[in-house]
Amino acid sequence: METLKKYFKSNTFTLTILLILIVAFFWAASPGRSYLSLINVTNILNSMVLFTLFAIGEALLIISGSVDLSPGYIGTASGALMTAVLANTGLPWFVALLLGLALGCVFGLINALLVNELGFQAFIATLTVGSFVAKGFAYILVDGKVIPIKNRVIVWIGTGRLFGIVPFTVILSLLLILIYGIILAKTVFGRTIYLCGGNSQAARLAGLNPRRLSYILFANSGVLGALAGILYDARLKSGNLDGTNNYAFPAVTAVILGGVSFGGGTGNMFGCFLGLLIINSFNNGLTVMGVTPYWQSVASGVLLLLALTLDYLANRRTKRIKVRRTVEA
Amino acid sequence: MTYTLEYKNISKAFPGVQALDNVSFKMSGGKVTALMGENGAGKSTLLKILSGDYQPDEGKILINGEEKRFRSPHQAIKSSISIIYQERQLVNTLSVAENLFLEDLPGNRLGFINKAELRRRTQEIIDTFGLPIRPTDIVGRLSVAYQQMVEIMKAYRRDSNIIAFDEPTAPLTDKEIVILFRVIQTLKEKGKIVIYVSHRMKEIFEITDEIVVMKDGHYVKTLQTAETSEQELVRLMVGRDIGDTYANLNRNDKIGDVLLEVNNLVTDYVKDVSFKLRAGEILGFSGLVGAGRTEVMRALFGADRIISGEIKLEGEVVHFRSPRDAIGAGIALCPEDRKEQGLILGRSIRDNVSMPVLLKVKKGVFLDVGQEEELAKEAVRRYGIKTPTTEKRVGELSGGNQQKVILGRWTSDKMVTKILILDEPTKGIDVGAKAEVYQTVCDLARQGIGVIFISSELTEVLGMSDNIIIMHNGRITGTLSREEATEERVLELAMLES
Repeated sequence: METLKKYFKSNTFTLTILLILIVAFFWAASPGRSYLSLINVTNILNSMVLFTLFAIGEALLIISGSVDLSPGYIGTASGALMTAVLANTGLPWFVALLLGLALGCVFGLINALLVNELGFQAFIATLTVGSFVAKGFAYILVDGKVIPIKNRVIVWIGTGRLFGIVPFTVILSLLLILIYGIILAKTVFGRTIYLCGGNSQAARLAGLNPRRLSYILFANSGVLGALAGILYDARLKSGNLDGTNNYAFPAVTAVILGGVSFGGGTGNMFGCFLGLLIINSFNNGLTVMGVTPYWQSVASGVLLLLALTLDYLANRRTKRIKVRRTVEA
Repeated sequence: MTYTLEYKNISKAFPGVQALDNVSFKMSGGKVTALMGENGAGKSTLLKILSGDYQPDEGKILINGEEKRFRSPHQAIKSSISIIYQERQLVNTLSVAENLFLEDLPGNRLGFINKAELRRRTQEIIDTFGLPIRPTDIVGRLSVAYQQMVEIMKAYRRDSNIIAFDEPTAPLTDKEIVILFRVIQTLKEKGKIVIYVSHRMKEIFEITDEIVVMKDGHYVKTLQTAETSEQELVRLMVGRDIGDTYANLNRNDKIGDVLLEVNNLVTDYVKDVSFKLRAGEILGFSGLVGAGRTEVMRALFGADRIISGEIKLEGEVVHFRSPRDAIGAGIALCPEDRKEQGLILGRSIRDNVSMPVLLKVKKGVFLDVGQEEELAKEAVRRYGIKTPTTEKRVGELSGGNQQKVILGRWTSDKMVTKILILDEPTKGIDVGAKAEVYQTVCDLARQGIGVIFISSELTEVLGMSDNIIIMHNGRITGTLSREEATEERVLELAMLES
């Protein structure tokens, strides 16, 4: 009962309503009610896969009080590395895949290094590492060309479907968001993320280690980004020049829409999942209705503004507490 | 004509404290007037009312006999009042010249800044002060001492009739102090009202003409500097009996073995600090704000880097590389700024209590919320934290209750706290809650915990401590036992010029 009451008051409840409204609208408006057909629902989930991977990494980082603008570029570089290894060496597919993931990890650690040891703002550090270093790396690795992937296992991972219906990648992304959701909500590690994000100084003085956490979360974001980039290339059966470059930002949007605040310390994975669903069903709905990509972009922008407004309204409460604090001092 | 500034029946209350109580006194131009009193005597509040930061609850300010009301700092500046605070109010990214003329940049009709004019006028002021800086220097890159001088030049530039200095010499070296005093002399000769707030006796006697003594929000007396002495001044600032609060405490009378020994500790902030803490002892740390007390504790707690020195815990040398190490060894810290450093305001009481023992409240790989709840409930029960549930956010609790949450955190069943460091534990909490905190601290000492009790309130340190260490400028200037300690002696040591 208490839990139910809390739920009705929460941001998650608002999001659920929003999602239902969007789905209901497009269902009613779509030709032949095709919006909720098995094929289209699978489409929505399929389009969500890569965003989900990015969103998980971002959610953890933003809750911890940071942000990562690089994973999209890291994904491209990792995919490119895997492709290059497959194309140019005789190494087996899993080695190529692990190398790709390892590259993501390295980029993540570089981000953490810049932020923690050199005191860069996460925004600047990750933007630079991503949009210059990782992006350039991707170009070098594929030598400025699109290189086909011929390895059957990699292609099977990217395009295979369970019972010929549900893509493996969809199952993977849903599993991951579930596992991360449980880690965030139920474990000491998850709690540490909230505590450090709420006030890292106080957390440190109470015996937690915000610095180590930052390293873990940046590495995690890098690896998830790499995985997304690899899946992207595996789906297209080729290594690409700008693969997932533009995926991280919409993922941040979904995370913020899902109730994670840029101030740090608040939000949960279920909210992020709803945020992802809302954005993707929205975009899919527009496509189904034949709205041009340009107008879709405008509409997505409006949705982003809505997300930021929600974040602002949620934050106003905390701000009021802060204001009271300064007056007392 | 002579300028006059008069505070008339001024009262100002904040939640839980009467900062000023019916304060009246008068100052006049051509004199340097010192404002003196202990921390919390009301000096800063007086300045902030003058600057328009605070509105008095009662009473008024008269300038040249005319009532003035300042609703904002802007209005005060327009009425020719300049206040130089301890926290500098400069734009670090702009040049010296731009800072000096911030609200009054010389421009032409099109709104462009006349840079030559700006530079010339700034250079004039710099020359008056005789400082080796250029108008074009970026303020953020200057040393702290020069930044302070820029702040002072800003007030000088405005040519205000009333100029107040709040601890102006704290960041200055002797060279700049000489310059500052020369400037103050000039201001005085021009017939301006100069208000000078400082804890440094030497300066007070060197530069001021009269001294207004404040105590606990009351006006005590105005002294002519030439006719008084340090002894008289200190007596007026502190002369009061320690209340019954302390007499009624159930104190620990069995002090045990040495728990902690610090030898020749040196950090970036403190020099050659040595002391011992025994089990069940309450060891007070006194000194002015910025004396280095907090910094000693941060180093001890593994939060700041130690340059040299040795820390022994129960006879064994320890090296803490992080607060986590210190906590593991049984040391707990309740930081001075409990809202910024102690608590996570957006999280529940439960989360804040269980923080350091999260790894001990697990069931398999998961957090055991049930056990956490037990810990939090125990803290609420033990310290009488006023809250309907342990899920209430600590940001919504009163100061006293917040302090109790931190105490609850460090004394939960899962903790093995041997040493408890309390840094200004009663700051910003009301009188009733203070007494509760005092008794709690005594109870903890009775359990054999060694307590380090830092406080800027003299009565509190004297009332609570078995022994008192006094610091000044990053060094220990004296150690007094409970029997030896008087307010006068502590204050003398705290102001000792080394």
